[in-house]
This record gives sequence, structure tokens and C-alpha cells, in this order.
Amino acid sequence: MVGIFAGLKWRLVTSRLRATSGATRIWMIIGFVVAAAAVGLLTVGLAALRAIPEAAQPVVVTLFVVQLVAWVLSPLVAFGVDETVDPARFALLPIRTQTLQRGLLVASLIGYLPLANMVILLGAAVAIGVPWSVFPVALVCAVVQLIICVVLSRAASTSMSSLMASRRGRDLGMAVGFGIFVLYMGFVALLNSGGDQTGMPAGASSLAAVLAWSPPGALASLPSLIASGELAKAALAALIAAATLALAWWWWSFALQRSLTTVPSTTAGSSPAGHAREGHAVAIGVRGTMQVVAGRDRLLVWRDPMRRMPWLMIGFLTIIYPFLVVQGKGAVFAVAFGALLVGAQAGNQYGVDGSGLWLHLQTISDRVRARGEVLGHAIAAIVPGTVVVLVAMAVQAVWRDDYDKVPAALGVCFAALLGAIAVACFVSAVLPYAMPQSRVSLFASSVPGQKGRTFGASLAVLGGGALIAAPAGVAAVLSVTVSPVWGWVALAVGLVVGALAVWLSSRLTADSYLERAPEIFAVVSAGDRV
Amino acid sequence: MIPHYPGQQQAIRAAAGQAVALRGLTKAFGGRRVVDAIDLDVPTGSFFGLVGPNGAGKTTTLSMVTGLLRPDAGRAIVAGIDVWADPPTAKARMGVLPDGLRLFERLSGPEMLSYLGRLRGMPASVVNDRAGELITVLDLDDAGNKLVADYSTGMRKKITLAAALLHSPPVLLLDEPLEAVDPVSARIIRTVLSRYTAAGGTVVFSSHVMALVEGLCSHVAVIAGGRIIAAGELAAVRGSAASLDDAFLNLIGASDVGEGGLSWLGSSPA
Repeated sequence: MVGIFAGLKWRLVTSRLRATSGATRIWMIIGFVVAAAAVGLLTVGLAALRAIPEAAQPVVVTLFVVQLVAWVLSPLVAFGVDETVDPARFALLPIRTQTLQRGLLVASLIGYLPLANMVILLGAAVAIGVPWSVFPVALVCAVVQLIICVVLSRAASTSMSSLMASRRGRDLGMAVGFGIFVLYMGFVALLNSGGDQTGMPAGASSLAAVLAWSPPGALASLPSLIASGELAKAALAALIAAATLALAWWWWSFALQRSLTTVPSTTAGSSPAGHAREGHAVAIGVRGTMQVVAGRDRLLVWRDPMRRMPWLMIGFLTIIYPFLVVQGKGAVFAVAFGALLVGAQAGNQYGVDGSGLWLHLQTISDRVRARGEVLGHAIAAIVPGTVVVLVAMAVQAVWRDDYDKVPAALGVCFAALLGAIAVACFVSAVLPYAMPQSRVSLFASSVPGQKGRTFGASLAVLGGGALIAAPAGVAAVLSVTVSPVWGWVALAVGLVVGALAVWLSSRLTADSYLERAPEIFAVVSAGDRV
Repeated sequence: MIPHYPGQQQAIRAAAGQAVALRGLTKAFGGRRVVDAIDLDVPTGSFFGLVGPNGAGKTTTLSMVTGLLRPDAGRAIVAGIDVWADPPTAKARMGVLPDGLRLFERLSGPEMLSYLGRLRGMPASVVNDRAGELITVLDLDDAGNKLVADYSTGMRKKITLAAALLHSPPVLLLDEPLEAVDPVSARIIRTVLSRYTAAGGTVVFSSHVMALVEGLCSHVAVIAGGRIIAAGELAAVRGSAASLDDAFLNLIGASDVGEGGLSWLGSSPA
């Protein structure tokens, strides 16, 4: 039975490669080579840490902990990456839970990601297996670490699978995704704090000392404890690891049993829409259409986590990012990065609703309405974007006492914001891409076969926005080097150039949309299947 | 856009009296002709059934008529307007219910109707009055402020039908409107459609449930392999066959399906 599961997984892994052809396959192979090189580099780097044991210990402890957290949380954030994750697919087969569980464990160990993890863990084992006599122990620890990762990850995803099948559960997953993102930023900030003579930041060392007694940390410290003869501590570490594995195995078995024998209640209670203010705007002329479309966008930003979470993230990034990257004055200019990200919120406007676009195809088929629609989506991003930029700017200016650079920075920010929105509108007509409509993940933003499109469109928005902000940027440089008067020039130039870009973009986008509407529809409808 | 070869005006004149007229409509996917030069006339005021097995080209044909899929060749004329030459006017004259496409999932039913009506340029008060009536008649009052994402299949078909009727178009194009719909919802949809044709509207709908088509339609066209095999008034297409079902199976040459083999069936488990 285990063999059948292994064969099934192997088929799934290889069929993905076989299903592609021509250029896609070449890109895929290039991607694999790059990924393999990255994994190889990481592994060699880890193995090289063997020479500096005082650094190797905290690094591997942190690595083990991060690895476990990533394995456990990834099903929630990116559920459905692996067909064998979903136990419901096996519900109707006459298999005992114990057999199923062993089969799934083996299946989970086959794939690119587990392989990459194995290779990296090998490097980690070399790093902590000092001297060579405890290397076998380190190797065993690495294997146990991988198994704990898989088992705990499957246990978590199985117990959440019925939750993730409902709309509310998936909405919750997005909130968790945002939480992880915030945690990650905090983690980075903590790791970078302070520093000592070994070159390791003090924050990282003290964190690792605490983590050393967590289950994965215990596994990472076990070889060195044995090597230094601290057998009692080593026994405790081994006990922690073994107990974790046993508990995780039991949890998984329990969750499997439960999920295979209870009926998921996917149609249960909708959270009602609430009493949103009905708009009274009517799509007569560009202005009216703009109001109707912007009204719906505004409503959905409040209601739909898929649209709300990016805004939370943008608000967070725009305000926090300047603190992280710029020490001292001039941080006001770093707000422009957040302004560029705002632009992406007007991006792929024809792809957000998947095949729901047909409703717009039936109602928006003349030039006036098409322009109104583009401007509506643009205004729905410009208004909250401006608020975010102004708040971030005020925070930076007050905190850093940096008022004289504000006009120039505002000029750059508005140019970047409006420019990115203009480019985002145009790109959504000429390079639309499907967005997964099953909403399983905040971060799964593309569908198979369209990753290149998605990436190209995102890059174009950031690059194009930066390009349109360049004139204001030049004036901003002059304001710092020549005379502060140039700051006001930057503000004026930024606003004028940005507004012009949006106006021009609305015309070009509308024309392009009307010309290619059925083709755009065909591309974005692919999002329904994912 | 498709080539603007001469004959558009003649085609439109020739289609006078027809709610929908297709002329040489063709679509190929990967070299295979899914819809193969279809000619079809749908008389104004008729209840027109488009029947055929799965994969016959029904959805592809309707998608080209509604402006969702660009034809490789041919014309689709709806209410006197060439769909691919003047999409805005043509789309104002049709109401559409596609099969298996998403809606604006995070709006409630009333919100979606209000949005679409106002997007068509109808005054807000008219939109609200009509939307309210449609929701009551289609028995969607209970749904209240539920999001469309949480609607059942029958409710989705009904709210889509409401959106199709909202601007009171002369022609309705419905793809499998009663597929996977519960009996009560199906009865409601049938009643509303009958009232619509009684008031002078034209309904074109696709289905593979013969009994349904036989009970509802005045006209029928049988489509298989991307071609029209028979078309006309229901009685004429049925001919001497006992039912439309038999006539259909004879027409597509599949009267002895499901025979042969399977001798082990029902003998013992495993």
C-alpha cells in the first residue's frame, strides 16, 4: 500500500513536468537549475559553518525552528499545493487510517520541496556533527527533524482541511497570512538588532539560546551535548524530540480519523453583506461610470479579505519600511516604495473576478463606459493610497524632524503612486493574468502556466511607476543638492506628470480592452479552475 | 475584429423578423472545428431550444452570439444588430445567462442587480423597483443580504436570470438555465420565461434534457459535432417519432448505446 502511495506521488510530481512543452519546459528546467544551485549554495554554506562551532549551533537551531514553523503554516497560507495533502480525496477508498497515514507520510517525503529540505538538512548535519564521531547522531537528528516537519504539517493541515473548505475558513487563512507577514517583519528586525565580536547579531544569539529547548532546537543541539559529555541534557533533548514526534503522529491520526468520518458543513451560514449604502450614481458618461465602478470597489475592499489584506499590508509596509531601511534623515523618500505598491492595487483589474468578468463584458462595451471603468478602479486605489502615503509621510517627518524634505518627497510619492496606477491599468489590459478564484491563499497569486505573465505584469507596474516618477525624482535630487525651492518643483511636476499618466492610461486601456475583451476573458477565466 | 467583408447590411435585412440569425458561424480550437459554419434562424417571439449531446458546440455557439468568444468566421445577428460589428447596441438588446461562469461573488443579490442596472445607465429608482420585483417573483427574498458566493446552484441561476431580465431586452440567451436546479426553482424559472415569451420576448436556451425542451419550446434545433442536424418547429423536428428523445437519438445516430459487455455486472463484489 505504501508503494502505491509513493508511486502516485511520483506520478503527480513527474506529470507536472511532462504536461508542459516547448518554452515552458525550458523555463521550468532553468528554474529547477537555479533553485538547485541556490539549495546547493545554502548547503555548502551550512557545511562550512563546521569550522566555526560557536556560530553553527545558533544558526542550525534557528534553521530547524524556522523550518518547522514554515512546514506547519504553509498549508494554511498556501493550501492545495499538493494533491495528497487533502485527506478528503481518500475518504471513499477502503483503506484503514493507519495504512493511509503511513502511505501519506511516504508520499509527503517525495517531491521537490522535501528533496530540497533533505539536502539542506544534510548540510546542517555536517555543521553540527562536530567531531566526526557524532556525525551519525547529527544525521539521525536531521532525519527526525524532517519527519517531525512532515507529520506536524500534515496533522495541522488535516485538522484544518474542513475549515479551509469553507469560505469563512479561507478568509481566516488570509488573516493568518497577514499575521505571519507581520511576524516575519518583526523577526527580521529582532535578528538585526545589536551585534557582537563573532559577527553574529546579539539578537540572533539570545533568540537561539531560548529556541535550543524547543523540539526542533533540541534536535539541533543534541550532537554537541553528546560531544561535550552532557549526557543528562542530551537525554532530555532526545526525550523532547521523541515526545514531539509521538504527539504529532497521534494528532495526525486523530485528525485523519475525524476528517474522514465527519461531513464537512461547507454551506453553513453566510456572513450577511450588512447594510451597505446603495450607490445612486448612474453610468451615464465617463464620470457616472467611474462613480458606479469605484463604489463597488470601495465596498469590496471593506468586505473581501482578498482585497482588504493587501491594503493592510501596504499600510503596514509604507509606514514601517522607512524605519527599517533608512537610518537618520531622508527616510521621507523611502515612503515612495509604499506609493509604488499602492499602484499594484489597480492592477489586473479585469482578472480579479475570474470569469465573473462576463458581467462587465455584457454591460461595458462602449468607449465611454470602458474609460469610466478604468478611472473608477484607479480612483478606488488613489483615494486610500493617498491617505496611506500622507500618514506615512507625516510619521516620518515628525519622528525624524525632517520637514524641509517633505515637499520633494511628496512630489516623488505622488508621481510614483499615480504613475504605478497608470501603468497598472494599462498592463491589466495588455497583459492580463488569471487570479485563483478558490481564494485558498493570499500569496498564491498566479495559476499554473501563467507565472511568467503574473511576474511580468508586477515588474512592469513597479518599473513603469518608477520611470514616471523619474522627473519628480530629478527635481527632488536638486532640492537636496542645489536649493530647497526645487522641492516645490518636484511636488508640482510629480502631480502633473502623474495625473497626465493616469488620464492617458485611461484612454489607452479602454481602447485596448474593447479591442481584446474576449481574449482577456479567455485568459482570466483560467482562474476559476484554481 | 472579424473582417468587415461586404454583405453585412444584406445579412441584417435578410434577417428581418428573426430575433437571432446566425450565418456561417465558425470556431475552431487547435484545428478542430467545434462549431462548423452554422446557419440558424430564430423567429421573433419563439421559445427556441438548442439541444445536443455534451461537447456538441452549444456553449461555444452561444458564447459567440453573446460576445464572449470571438468567432473565426461568420456573423451573429441579434435583434437586427450584428453582434461583432456593433457590440454595445447588440449587448443592450440581449439578456444572458451563461453556464458555469462566476458572478460578482462578494456582492449580495440585490447589490449585484443594483450595480449592473446602474452600470447600464438605468436610473437608480427604476433599477431598485425592478430588482425588488424580480427578487420577489424569483423567490429570492429569503436570501436577503446573503453573498452570492454562498448561493446554491438554483439561486445562482435565478439571480443571473434576474440580471438578464433587468434591462428588459427583446432576446434572452440562456445556456443550460435549468441544469442542476431543484424542482421548485425550475418551476419558477419556467414560469417567468413563459411570461416573458407571452409578452413578446424571444428565448433561446440550450439543454440536453429532451423532456424539458419538448414541454417548453415552440421551436428546436438539434446540434451535434458542431453542425445543425435539424431545425424548425418542434412538431416538424419530432416528425413521426414517439418523443423528441427518440427523434434526437435517431438524428444523431445513437439509438443502440449502452448495449454489450458488462456480463460480470451485479454478480459479486470485488
